[in-house]
Amino acid sequence: MNTFESSIPLIHNSVNIMTPFLLAAMGGLFTELSGMLNIALEGLMLFGAFFSVVFAYYTGSLFFGVLLGITVTMALSLVFGSITLYLKANVFITGLATNLFASGFTVVLAFHLFGNKGVILFQDLPELPKLTIPLLQKLPFIGDLFINHNIFVYLSWLVVIAAYLVIYKTPFGMHVRGTGLNARAIKSLGLNPRKYQLSAILISGFTCGLAGAVLTLNLGAFIPNMTSGRGWIALVVIYLGNRTPLGVLIASFIFGFAESFSNYAQGSINIPADFILAFPYLITVAALILHSMWKHYRVEAR
Amino acid sequence: MSYLEMRGIIRLYKESGVLANDKVDLSVEKNEIHAIVGENGAGKSTLMKILHGLERPDQGTITFRGREVSIANPLDADRLGIGMVHQHFQLIPQFTICENIVLGIEPKKYSIFFDREKARGRVMGIIKEYGFKIEPGLTVSQLTFGQMQLVEILKMLYRQADLLILDEPTSVLTEQEIKKLFTTLRNLKKIGKTVIIITHKLNEVKEISDRVTVMRKGKVAAVKKTAEVDRKELSRLMVGKSVLYDIERAELTRGLPVLELKEVTLRQKNQDMPLLDKLNLTVHASEIVGVAGVGGNGLAELEDVVTGLRRISSGEIYYNNNRITNSTIHELREQGLCYVPADRLYRGSSLRSSVKENMIITNSRNFQKAGIMSQKRVQDFADTLTAKYSIDGDTALPIGYLSGGNIQKVILARELEAKADFIVFSEPAWGLDIASSEFVYKKILQLREQGSAILLISSDLQEILTLADRVVVMYKGRIAADLANREITKEIIGEYMHGIRGDFEVK
Repeated sequence: MNTFESSIPLIHNSVNIMTPFLLAAMGGLFTELSGMLNIALEGLMLFGAFFSVVFAYYTGSLFFGVLLGITVTMALSLVFGSITLYLKANVFITGLATNLFASGFTVVLAFHLFGNKGVILFQDLPELPKLTIPLLQKLPFIGDLFINHNIFVYLSWLVVIAAYLVIYKTPFGMHVRGTGLNARAIKSLGLNPRKYQLSAILISGFTCGLAGAVLTLNLGAFIPNMTSGRGWIALVVIYLGNRTPLGVLIASFIFGFAESFSNYAQGSINIPADFILAFPYLITVAALILHSMWKHYRVEAR
Repeated sequence: MSYLEMRGIIRLYKESGVLANDKVDLSVEKNEIHAIVGENGAGKSTLMKILHGLERPDQGTITFRGREVSIANPLDADRLGIGMVHQHFQLIPQFTICENIVLGIEPKKYSIFFDREKARGRVMGIIKEYGFKIEPGLTVSQLTFGQMQLVEILKMLYRQADLLILDEPTSVLTEQEIKKLFTTLRNLKKIGKTVIIITHKLNEVKEISDRVTVMRKGKVAAVKKTAEVDRKELSRLMVGKSVLYDIERAELTRGLPVLELKEVTLRQKNQDMPLLDKLNLTVHASEIVGVAGVGGNGLAELEDVVTGLRRISSGEIYYNNNRITNSTIHELREQGLCYVPADRLYRGSSLRSSVKENMIITNSRNFQKAGIMSQKRVQDFADTLTAKYSIDGDTALPIGYLSGGNIQKVILARELEAKADFIVFSEPAWGLDIASSEFVYKKILQLREQGSAILLISSDLQEILTLADRVVVMYKGRIAADLANREITKEIIGEYMHGIRGDFEVK
């Protein structure tokens, strides 16, 4: 009975923690399907984190903060995408540059605006609204997922549904997937593969902006490099999720759970703290190994 | 005025300096099946890519249905009713047949969603209308090449094309699939479509086409009514007149066997026809064996096999009586193989490395002292070679900056300096002017006099007749003829190449 009770907040927490992974990975899924390795997720997320909290602070409105934060993030992704696609730079290098730029620029701007290079607390931020979905919370087993989460959690699920619809049910999604699978065929039809790749990058800018907003607005503070590898884990999540929206959702939950478990374990289980803090990363490595073994097995079985 | 008129089309590939189309005129009548034939590199595909908007001509006009048109991309071509099936299928293997067919102009639901039912309905409609049998829900990766071909044709019909272009449609098909394709083309003609078919198989030209345009080296060599020419004449038109080189081949008696291929067979996964079928071939010292054949008949595979780039499926290869079957390239090189590949840009050289690095890459060990390269020795060597082979260019620059002819000279210099007793040349004079070609030919003959065994793979028959002691003709992965170079002519070789002569007749 005791274990049952403690497992519920664990799952509730996991759902909270997985949200930024899920959002970033969902946008990254688009670039991945269009045939590009988007390592800029980390930098884009950091941009979203910084600008949404700053704009929320100045406008005094969460809505405008998020909106403007996403806009700025998409602008960065547009620069990243244009340099990659139209000036034909290597996507890995431009992605790396985007990450480094975001990491430096946010700190410089923070210092310029608030005279502080460290943690910046925003005192008077409006609190994130928390919602419970009345009908769904009565569902057995998963009802708990619909109680008392902040609005971003529900928003991220809408993003998953939208991503699913766009990828599989629209001509646009078909063209994006086609570009990743055989760009020459897309070109021979008179369609422009680069257009779809740029669109995919912009979509990743959108979701990473949102993912960043989740981090800062939840906390009411900005910490330099606060994404701390979440963008990279989002990249892992995409592969682990077998490059499908549902797979990404499940993989995100696994990582959310790992992190939530490590938070929980620090307080209650007698294991060295270092090990517990490393737990999410161990899960990453283990998951990648298992995934690669499974893929290998599938190829052999054919 | 014909249905389609292409006038004075010029297309120069600036990177390689190849003039792919040199004032080409093409006219196609409505409702005919028009064949375009020519050797590899004659400019057929380029001309058709221009017609389908994948490439822009540098000069020239296109008139279609009596109006001058500008075709900037495939969408323009689609709108005009010009469809094309490429030599390499442009399909997305993971998508279904239906998705591949409608891709780019999908029917929509609520103006944003892809309407799968409607798409399937339309595709089924076309399949039924033209009397095909195929299930549009299948994934393309499960299909045979013949079925993929059909999907490509359906793609054109879905786009309501009236002029259908097929670029070497039969190259990957089996005999039965080819028959089916030809029936389809005849039916399309019956209902008023016009077809342009590119091929280099003359029996197919005779079987399917009404008229034929022969291209040679970027120009139109002839336009004929198919009924009025025979395959011999077509073959002659394709290979062209002789150019005379100022070269003499000394009389030599050949030495001992150096390379021996015994029953060498190369198979490819999922294909019934072997790429190389029980090849028996011997190259002796002081002998040049020329290998001729139309592309796709095993020449490239033979090149790969003797140089160790591909492992053979069965058979044996001997080198000076030692078994070297499936030895690694490194082992072959150690034993004295040299190789001047047809693909000089990617296989023959490292484009970003300097000229001198390219010169020493096969024997860099000779330039080392305690593991460190002696730059002076390298430079001396490079200077010697540049003078000896009259290479024009700075040896410190990347080789990619040099012209095609000079790149080839660097590769030749490197390979010939190694003093090998067995050398493979593939298209050694491709893209070279007459003077450079002569230079290369003299070098090859010099090696022969020094006692090397030489395998010369070439699509240029004049080159083979000028240099080779023996001519081997490949057809469908087999040796169709093994002739002493005395009283043979281009025409005879051409006939073997196209399967007109030979121990097996084409059906």
